[in-house]
Amino acid sequence: MSTNSQHHGQSRVLRVFIYTTLIVFAFMYLLPLFVMLVTSFKSLDEIRQGNMMALPNTWTIEPWLSAWGSACIGMSCEGLKGYFMNSVMMVVPAVLISTLVGALNGYVLTKWRFPGHKVVFGLLLFSCFIPFQIVLVPMSQVLGWLGIAGTTAGLVLVHVTYGIGFTTLFFRNYYEAFPTELVRAAMIDGAGFFKIFWRVLLPSSAPIFVVTIIWQFTNTWNDFLFGASFAAGESAPITVALNNLVNSSTGVKEYNVHMAAAVLAALPTLLVYVLAGRYFVRGLMAGSVKG
Amino acid sequence: MAAITGETRSWLQRWLPQLVLSPSFALVILFVYGFIAWTAYISVSASRMLPNYKYVGMQQYSKLWKTLNWQVALDNLLVFGSLYIIICSLIGLLLAILLDQKIRAEGLLRPIFLYPMALSFIVTGTAWKWFLNPGLGLQHTMQSWGWESFTFNWLVNPKMAIYTVVIAAVWQSSGFVMAMFLAGLRGIDHEQLKAAQLDGATGFRLYRRVVIPQLGPVFLSAFVVLSHMAIKSYDLVVALTGGGPGNATEMPATFMYSYTFTRNQMGIGAASAMVMLMTVVAIMVPYLYAELKEPKHVD
Amino acid sequence: MASLNIQKICKSYGKIEVLKDIDISIDHGDFLVLVGPSGCGKSTLLNMIAGLEEITSGDLAIDGERVNDRHPSKRDIAMVFQSYALYPNMRVEENIAFGLEMRGVSKAEREQAVAKVASMLQIEHLLKRKPGALSGGQRQRVAMGRALVRDPKIFLFDEPLSNLDAKLRVDMRTEIKRLHQRLGSTIVYVTHDQIEAMTLATTIAVMKDGIVQQLGTPEEIYNRPANTFVASFMGSPAMNLLPGKLLRSGDDYAVKVGGGSAEEALLTLPSHSDKSALSDGQEVMLGLRPEMVTDPVSAKAIGHDTVNLQCPVEVAEPTGADIYAITRIGGHSITARLRAGLDLRAGSTTEFAVDMSRAVLFDTGSEQRIA
Repeated sequence: MSTNSQHHGQSRVLRVFIYTTLIVFAFMYLLPLFVMLVTSFKSLDEIRQGNMMALPNTWTIEPWLSAWGSACIGMSCEGLKGYFMNSVMMVVPAVLISTLVGALNGYVLTKWRFPGHKVVFGLLLFSCFIPFQIVLVPMSQVLGWLGIAGTTAGLVLVHVTYGIGFTTLFFRNYYEAFPTELVRAAMIDGAGFFKIFWRVLLPSSAPIFVVTIIWQFTNTWNDFLFGASFAAGESAPITVALNNLVNSSTGVKEYNVHMAAAVLAALPTLLVYVLAGRYFVRGLMAGSVKG
Repeated sequence: MAAITGETRSWLQRWLPQLVLSPSFALVILFVYGFIAWTAYISVSASRMLPNYKYVGMQQYSKLWKTLNWQVALDNLLVFGSLYIIICSLIGLLLAILLDQKIRAEGLLRPIFLYPMALSFIVTGTAWKWFLNPGLGLQHTMQSWGWESFTFNWLVNPKMAIYTVVIAAVWQSSGFVMAMFLAGLRGIDHEQLKAAQLDGATGFRLYRRVVIPQLGPVFLSAFVVLSHMAIKSYDLVVALTGGGPGNATEMPATFMYSYTFTRNQMGIGAASAMVMLMTVVAIMVPYLYAELKEPKHVD
Repeated sequence: MASLNIQKICKSYGKIEVLKDIDISIDHGDFLVLVGPSGCGKSTLLNMIAGLEEITSGDLAIDGERVNDRHPSKRDIAMVFQSYALYPNMRVEENIAFGLEMRGVSKAEREQAVAKVASMLQIEHLLKRKPGALSGGQRQRVAMGRALVRDPKIFLFDEPLSNLDAKLRVDMRTEIKRLHQRLGSTIVYVTHDQIEAMTLATTIAVMKDGIVQQLGTPEEIYNRPANTFVASFMGSPAMNLLPGKLLRSGDDYAVKVGGGSAEEALLTLPSHSDKSALSDGQEVMLGLRPEMVTDPVSAKAIGHDTVNLQCPVEVAEPTGADIYAITRIGGHSITARLRAGLDLRAGSTTEFAVDMSRAVLFDTGSEQRIA
């Protein structure tokens, strides 16, 4: 319900003012995206002469083709597609593993409490909030020792490790509200630890799975720091590749290609957002507003 | 493997929950707290390009504090952080209040305000870098539309560059703050709003006296989340300004990275990381402690 | 204090009709209770009186003035909400004075008004506290204080006692009644609890499915319910309703309950009852309140037109003050109320006296009262 009655409503003038303000803001939020898209369909000449907000005179998909397949990033000139795949191969395992582990952890912390569970949860929770700069040097050493430095597998390990705090938080909050009587009833019926998880909790966990997966997917896909620190070369994720493309290209700056590349990098998470937006919001809220 | 004896089985049953939890726990203890200790040690060691475990006390910290770049980084963090938090909160609150006025297009508008959160900071930085490009972006566009004297070259102006980071960051995060406030607004007891109507409190007075005072917890949550993000700001700065022009937009995160990996001053880098950690701890720990401890208010 | 006039008021949400042709009038000083099961529309009607919901059609008048389109704060009414709706960020004294503050009343006057109300409700010691630090009962008083301080024409109460525990509920009920007697205010009170309705009201409107089933004094509602719904809703334990047939012999009527091979009972109606709506062979429901089916000794104390029957005792429920016995008349189970101390065994048969002078008859088809 709105904090203003629908009956003794607001004056016409006020209504118009409210809508106008909202529309102006909406415009400002959409503008950068619009500019990105529009630039990505223009030729370089047009960009140099024209104004950034104008629609293309002649639409061209060259920048997109270049961004995907032929732009020079680092040593090779094969576009983003390889790096896109790197991101995919990093994100899928990382999200699945951290989500599953988080689910089990949340289950244990709420339905199988043991002395010290608060401390364990507290330690896990705090790991969400550390500035990741603090682990960069040690992690690169360890990844080197394990022989997975500079690989996608290394990144998967990193993202799983630092994602577990969040996923555990989400599931723990969700399972906290789940009636413990159902678990007890199942125990009386003879079900054991895993059976209860599998047959009693999991079937009702679809909403939190969606939220967690979306959250993890977005964070892992969008990460830059870990990618740049641990997999800067061949196995770089798309965010690192994008930055390399935009910031270290020598010679002529192909802005249209940069923009196309940026949109490509943003596409998966944007798509997820458009399709499952409200779960996304729930994730944001669950992760930060406690209670 | 031979059949599990009854004793082993019951030992397993008894400890199964903790066993299930232990890999995560071990991972976190090692890779989070262990690494923190490791970096802490580096910060009191003589490391430069590679870790060197000779103990040197607080030498790196004193060097850190004398480094000009670090001073700049701290200044920038303060400026950026305050503006970021304040502006995000104001815009978030404003948009939430407006959206709460039974707007028919709410389903359309809300996602528009929120979608920037779905983007990587690198994408945001890249987009805004283009948008604010003096020669080809906003400035040029305004001039070509007839406003000849319009200048907006903040991006390349050492004094103003930090404000471009604020703009881009606010664009990215204010939708999220709006979502938090909107949830807070909608959590207010409906009967209170009816009572306020009967009391004659409407419009501005309603918000000022009844609604906003109750949003205290939301302001706090927003502050905690935003300050945390501000301290960690790295991706956005790298993509938008690269720390520049010069060191005009140096931030603790970019400082740490460059001193550790490119300037071969690992000890100083580690010290800066520890300072960042301390700042986050100072904000998060009291907040988390209060949230975890406190039983729900009796309503 | 004011009169309230509800004329042919209807409320619809889109195509769904929630209230149909409500007609209720009360004078100043009246205590009107809107009572009925959940979903009957009583809260909606209250909100419409307050101005918190729009009136689809019909007229609402306070003290003769039509107020359909007036803002809630301009109707000179005050409301006590089910959840009390206190502002958590303000102290009790600020909560109470808030409405006055919004109207621009000076600080000195506000303080005076708050002090007066606080002493009336005995909450002076709570004035500096915030709602979060109060118990349920204390919050209820503060909510009432907020309403009282306005000195309005009409007080509205929306199920104010439902969130209190049983004992507190009874105490607060008495307090509300005392306040009404002392202040002589016009009150409209919504509840689903028929005991609250009976004890507090001067006028009761029993509602179901958006329609006023009966409007009358508690005595009328209790003793002459307009239909079977009102009969079974009001009074606890509920009124017994026995299906039967009217038999006429000469000028007298009797209700035959049961029949065929099952036990049959013939209950004659008192000769002085109004027989204008009765006809021979009519299918009727005979309404008997439990206290009208009792032991012969108590019956002598109650009434004259009694029918004595020997009936089996199926269950005996002693409450300390009475004994409720489930027995059978004409093959139907009914609840009887007998005096305490009787030795009743389940399965035994004992003599019951049925007081027919206050029995009511309903036509089985229309469910309306016919006698």
